Amino acid sequence: MSHRATLFVLALLSATTACAHPEIQDALDRLTTALAATPNDASLYAERGELYAQHEDWLSAEANYLRAAELAPGLPRLARARGSLALARGQVSAARGFLDHAIALAPSDPTAFILRARALARLGLTPDALADYTQAFGLLAAPSPELYLERAALFASPADALRSLADAFVRLGPVMSLQLRALDLEISLSRFDDALTRVDLLTSASERRELWLKRRGDILVSAGRQAEARATYVAAQTAIAALPAWLAASPESVRLSTELTRLATTSP
Amino acid sequence: MPSSHHLRCLVVLTLALSAISSLRAATTIIRGPYLQSATPTSMVVRWRTDNTEPSIVRYGLTRTALTTTVKAEGITTEHFVHLGNLKPNTRYYYTMGAEPVARPAAVGTKKAGAATPAAEAEDGPGRAPTSSFVTPPESGSSQPTRVWVLGDPGTKGDTQRAVRDQYYKFTDKRATDLWLLLGDNAYPDGTDTDYQKAIFEIYPETLRTVPVWSCLGNHDGKSANSITQSGVYYNAFTFPTRGEAGGVASGTEAYYSFDYANTHFISLDSHDSDRSLDGAMMTWLKADLAATKRDWIVAFFHHPTYTKGTHDSDKDSDSAGRMNDMRQNFLPVLEAGGVDLILTGHSHVYERSFLLDGHYGKSTTFNAATMVKQKGEVRADGVVVYRKPRARTAHFGDINVVTGSAGHAGSKTKPPALNHPAFYISLNEAGSSVLDIDGLNLTLTFLNDKGEQRDRFAIIKE
Repeated sequence: MSHRATLFVLALLSATTACAHPEIQDALDRLTTALAATPNDASLYAERGELYAQHEDWLSAEANYLRAAELAPGLPRLARARGSLALARGQVSAARGFLDHAIALAPSDPTAFILRARALARLGLTPDALADYTQAFGLLAAPSPELYLERAALFASPADALRSLADAFVRLGPVMSLQLRALDLEISLSRFDDALTRVDLLTSASERRELWLKRRGDILVSAGRQAEARATYVAAQTAIAALPAWLAASPESVRLSTELTRLATTSP
Repeated sequence: MPSSHHLRCLVVLTLALSAISSLRAATTIIRGPYLQSATPTSMVVRWRTDNTEPSIVRYGLTRTALTTTVKAEGITTEHFVHLGNLKPNTRYYYTMGAEPVARPAAVGTKKAGAATPAAEAEDGPGRAPTSSFVTPPESGSSQPTRVWVLGDPGTKGDTQRAVRDQYYKFTDKRATDLWLLLGDNAYPDGTDTDYQKAIFEIYPETLRTVPVWSCLGNHDGKSANSITQSGVYYNAFTFPTRGEAGGVASGTEAYYSFDYANTHFISLDSHDSDRSLDGAMMTWLKADLAATKRDWIVAFFHHPTYTKGTHDSDKDSDSAGRMNDMRQNFLPVLEAGGVDLILTGHSHVYERSFLLDGHYGKSTTFNAATMVKQKGEVRADGVVVYRKPRARTAHFGDINVVTGSAGHAGSKTKPPALNHPAFYISLNEAGSSVLDIDGLNLTLTFLNDKGEQRDRFAIIKE
């Protein structure tokens, strides 16, 4: 976008913000007032750009970032913000460039590493992306499960993906979303004993054992251990019977019980 | 006469003594104490001091016998002490520090202003150095439970205070068992200063006696990041990530669940976590719903599934589609899981639905004949009653409540449309909601800033 176009979009924005985003109107008003007082404050443009980006108004965000970049090209938050915006708009190579710059300016910023990891992954540079996730995990006190799932998804080999999740269990504990991913990976590798160990852990931690016992039975069927599977389906029925009467009588419990009866009697 | 040299020495000595004295007496609690992650057998006590000191909590079963001391490692200004091995449903008295700290008595109501020591904060009596809390009852037990629900409270203004004071008047001696913040807890940007003024200086008495739970709002999200679990919101609160308060381990404070008596509460992050069908939050939610044995399931998150208040759930661009995501992706899963009540904020109004199921589109697709499961019977006392079977039944119906006006309501001069057909009642009024659960009866009251009970409904399980 040219300088004149930037200024035109910014002028347009100041005239139209009143009806654009009611949830950010107050903040926009404050920033616009502040910019009227200090029109060369790059950080205010950057902040306004972030506000628009948060609401997926990419054009307005870009116009503000460009103005900020004209005023202060070295503003630390700007490179990351522009990288994030470029990534959101699918401009992956540009995103990488901005994020390289952001990391050079702030090498302890985990968010910049996460964003660059995503850009690198989309560019097919998997080893570099994995390295950036590792950097981010080292910088974060509590990485979210989503990040571990993102990293695990980059591995072509399920075994490598499983290994990558091991660190998550150490740091976060037996998180359900990660346990279920690990379980799927174990089954895809036909590591049925390991899968059963994971299911047993989930069963022991659950107030409602019947669904996990059903899953255990299904894994045993996949492993060709039919007799054990049938016994496990019966155990699941016993677990349903042990529920409070009102819960055992719920339509879902009745449906599950019927299915377990069928599985226990028809499994080869 | 003393020489000028002696005088100078005297002045220096006096200043030095004064400085030492002020150093020794300087540590002041400037935030809290406040109670987090309550379970039947544990409680987290947090507070902030202006200077570093050890984190010590002394507690016991009577005010005069604080016989147990817990000390966290190190010295800090941000104090976090985990009390374990507590008895369920039991009142504990507690104080911070090695010795009792004398605090000045309260003197009237103080407007939120510059840094206010906790001892001078404004919302009630009880400036005594010893506070107390009651641990939650055993999970699954049936016990009358009062929950105070505040959506979008943190304006720091007179309306926020009026809503607060009307609730205190309403509840009077009936203790609050827990309170829920539905996000946008601290305007405008969810900064540490915003939180100090909008939460910690407005509700100190409730904070020190009643565990508070929250979900992330868009204004909180300006100073917080869910994917990195960082920022003011995540620094201020401590929520269970490993299923330690009931429910399934989420691994994140962005979304989590907990039990209180016979109710399972689910907090979702509608602002900053992945809201897709195959995202981690969705995977966790399905497992969490399947795992609970509680009679009641209450879900809360910031962005409403339906609203025609200060936001419009029919507009795709409003809130960057977050309302769409919650309605189209999460609502079907919540309804399949047998959720009874959904509490949201964001729209600064009160809107309450019929007992509904299956409305996942825009308001123009609403079909009362198929989606309204019950219109409700109006009882003699004015309470609108809905009935559900105790046996949890997918898609039997749930009530959606938008209660996002604890800090301010919509404009009076350009009032919101308030015409979404899913709602039984829609009000452009400031207020908070009071949720009472007693066995198989659940009642919600919307209490406005004038103290009027503007809506009351009940769900009865039989």
